[in-house]
Amino acid sequence: MAEYFGFTGKIARVDLTNETVTVIEPAEEIYRKFLGGSAMGAYFLFKEGIFDPKLDPLGPDNLLQFMVGPVTGAAPNARITLVTKSAYNIYCASTCGGHFGSELKYAGWDGIQVVGKASKPVYLAVMDDTIEIRDAGHVWGKGVEESELILKSEVLAELESREGMLRDADLNPQWAAMRPPKRLGMHAKRLAHVMAIGPGGENQVWYSCVVTEGARAAGRWGAGAVMGSKNLKAVVVRGTKGHKLADKKTFLALVSGIQKSERGDYFWRSYGTAGIGANSAYVEDAFPIRNWQWCSWADPHVKAIAGPFMDQTSFVRKVSCYGCNLHCLYPVEVTSTDPLMDGTMSDMPDWEAMGMVGGNLGFMEMEGTDPGQPFTGSVKDQAEHLAKLQYTTFLHDNYSLDFIEGGNNLALVMELVQRGFIDKNDLDGIDLKWGDVHAVDEILKKIVTRDGIGDKLAQGTYETARYFAELKGKPEIMNYSMTAHHYGQPAHDVRSPADKNAMEYVTVNRACAHTGGGTAGFKTGDWAAAIAGQNVSAAQNSLVHCQFPAGHWAGSRIDLIKAATGWSDFSDEDLQLVGAREYALSRLFEIHIRQLKDPKAEWDRQVPPRWFNDPLPTGSQKGAVAYEGKPDVLFNEALPAYWKERGWTEDKGVPTLETLKKLGIDDVAGSIASEHL
Amino acid sequence: MAEIKRRDEAPKPTKEPKKTETSASGVSRREFLIGSGAGVAGLVIGGVVGNQVIGKPAAPVVEAPAAEVPAEGEESPYKAGYTLVFDSVQCTGCMLCAVACSEKYATFLHPEETANLASLEFARIRPMRFQYVDVINVCSYCNLYEWAEGSSKFPCEAVCPEEAIITVPEGEGEAGYYGMGYKWVDREKCLGIDKCWRCAEICEDQFASGMSFDPIDRKAQVCSRCGGDPECVKACPEPGALSWVPAARNGRYFANTPSDYAELLYRKIYNHVRDL
Repeated sequence: MAEYFGFTGKIARVDLTNETVTVIEPAEEIYRKFLGGSAMGAYFLFKEGIFDPKLDPLGPDNLLQFMVGPVTGAAPNARITLVTKSAYNIYCASTCGGHFGSELKYAGWDGIQVVGKASKPVYLAVMDDTIEIRDAGHVWGKGVEESELILKSEVLAELESREGMLRDADLNPQWAAMRPPKRLGMHAKRLAHVMAIGPGGENQVWYSCVVTEGARAAGRWGAGAVMGSKNLKAVVVRGTKGHKLADKKTFLALVSGIQKSERGDYFWRSYGTAGIGANSAYVEDAFPIRNWQWCSWADPHVKAIAGPFMDQTSFVRKVSCYGCNLHCLYPVEVTSTDPLMDGTMSDMPDWEAMGMVGGNLGFMEMEGTDPGQPFTGSVKDQAEHLAKLQYTTFLHDNYSLDFIEGGNNLALVMELVQRGFIDKNDLDGIDLKWGDVHAVDEILKKIVTRDGIGDKLAQGTYETARYFAELKGKPEIMNYSMTAHHYGQPAHDVRSPADKNAMEYVTVNRACAHTGGGTAGFKTGDWAAAIAGQNVSAAQNSLVHCQFPAGHWAGSRIDLIKAATGWSDFSDEDLQLVGAREYALSRLFEIHIRQLKDPKAEWDRQVPPRWFNDPLPTGSQKGAVAYEGKPDVLFNEALPAYWKERGWTEDKGVPTLETLKKLGIDDVAGSIASEHL
Repeated sequence: MAEIKRRDEAPKPTKEPKKTETSASGVSRREFLIGSGAGVAGLVIGGVVGNQVIGKPAAPVVEAPAAEVPAEGEESPYKAGYTLVFDSVQCTGCMLCAVACSEKYATFLHPEETANLASLEFARIRPMRFQYVDVINVCSYCNLYEWAEGSSKFPCEAVCPEEAIITVPEGEGEAGYYGMGYKWVDREKCLGIDKCWRCAEICEDQFASGMSFDPIDRKAQVCSRCGGDPECVKACPEPGALSWVPAARNGRYFANTPSDYAELLYRKIYNHVRDL
């Protein structure tokens, strides 16, 4: 095996059906082209034939990858990317913070790939080179929080665990006489890190995520369902081998510079993403309220979504990911007069949660009013509203559900009830009204156990809308599905020109991702700039580092890669190519697995009808619709121009053979592209 | 395994040993250490809280040595008699302390082997994350109680068959690494984890989890407070999480195994009783 710096040169491939572990050693050229994380994952989706349209995402043949990159490890802001074919039949490349990514690198792996299906629930115990498939019967059915803490204590490194050797003769007689009878030997270190699924993943709810540290998740596109389909409860990692670096001194100096810069960043260090709430609602007019019927309240006194209010009400700690000084996660203990919620441990909520399972579920208004009316409540009422939000966040995290897709799903059903399309008889007797956290609690239990109507809702927003549209014979129900490419819209609307542009959701390679980048370019129609932004974002997911401190990384990113890998000629252009490769591969992947003959009509136009049909009813952008109300300009002019700039065909958006050759991936994807050109 | 070059043989002070100073009580520290019959008794101070917890007769209370104030023009930040106070509520689990510690000792002990390696395994301080709480895990410098346990040694020291856990007095050791009356492992004497792990076992069985093992030569590691100038404190970005102060305290009060400490933090911060 070649000796690498930055990388370990090894990816573990675990076959749960045959209970075997083999090692993949990619050539240096592959690392150069894809780095790791999402781009490397996309490469393996092609290499392993996961693009086969007949391959069932929830069947044993699907490939679930936990991938890290060359700077994951000793660099700050570590993340890990989970790449697979989603249960929605789309591309899944979902990233997650915490310590797990670094620990995986320290264990000596650039990634873990899981195929097959275990005959009974199992978890993977990774201790450096040793990977064991262990029984997980004792944690199956348990929530993420409890499972993680149990599994954490079960994996210790070789140097951390020994049988007892002490005898009473080793102690003073007095001491020996009073020594407590635990006698467990050497056992107390708790340094393993865990990524686990809860009941949502076990029962293969399509939008189930994979969670670490209680509240951090590879949230979107349903990696948890794929994990559950393999009977894999968790991956537990303890690594002691460290991170090999070509130029350690330079690397650590750059790391230190990033961390120092972060320490002056009091946006994140004050409230994390909770600091965006009020801005999004009242300045940008892009906050999800009641399934996006409103994007701001008529009365700006609704403040339970503001960071300072949350902090004053409930923040008790600050939590960092590995090496990060932004500590953007703020745990809370919910305090409420409602015993259902009181005393729950939760977090923040972060930005997406406060939108998707907060405003979007009607938690923020006084009973009997709507967002167009003045707010008449007190600070105590606002604190109760915040409690509902934090409690629902906890439910999603602990069940391992994506609260973005989940929030859209619940809000869709609530709006259908509001408009009289359905009633509680269609929901197994649950009266799902705006703001009713008890009803949300009940319906979520049904979803994660796939009980009754929960079995339909477990397939996500788009399929839920389809189910009710067919059941009621009312195709207009599809108008309330806030999904782009069949996946729920995150808490940034595109009708207001102040936040994201519709083109961003149309073109991003992971269905309706809010972290795709390129916003400024899309707003001005500068496709080259937009593409550069997208490519950088994809490269970040391949390196893998967090996007929140991207500004602190900006001047150091290339130097860090050089110092880690020793590739002295690696440039910004190479980094752009990594992103461009992932975009080309993921585009081809989705066209091929869905066998799209006319991608634009069949797929690219699959966006929320509300974008163009329902102008914003309140706020500074009152009356706004997406793309100035010109969908034809978007899909017939802007989109082909963007495709052209990417080197893809203007009619279908298929990467041309010439482009693939330029990117050096014609051998990987050329034949698939030829089928669709 | 490659031949291991030791860096801690025959410690040579990099500066002149300090002159014996006289403390406020009129007894010089060196004299006191010798006179007490236990090299570490000078660090057992306070004891009141510990007594309240265990409800037994008071341990002999010893006055805290006066804080070392560098003389004018003297640059040395090395302090004897100081305490590492940690507050796991303020800790965010960013690991900067562990990175700084590990890097310092990896470079000190194994410069060749770790020239291209960043690792946390050489760290003597190692925060552990239990989801919503972070536990700062480092040696608490706890002592046995003479009146109850027949010794005032550190528990790890008391069970070491080779007397490898030593207290390096002021004036000896390596400035910035060990000395100044803080603990150190004599790596010549330590048998290594393949033969003996009594120090770690007694710590984890009855006290905390302050011992770890060097992954290269598999010898015991324990926090030496960097000989009075701890690197972790300088690296910590969160005010109040790690402090290096002349606080009077009894180390036993701090010592909890990581999961016990995490349970306490869940009670304190979240009003939750968890069984970890």
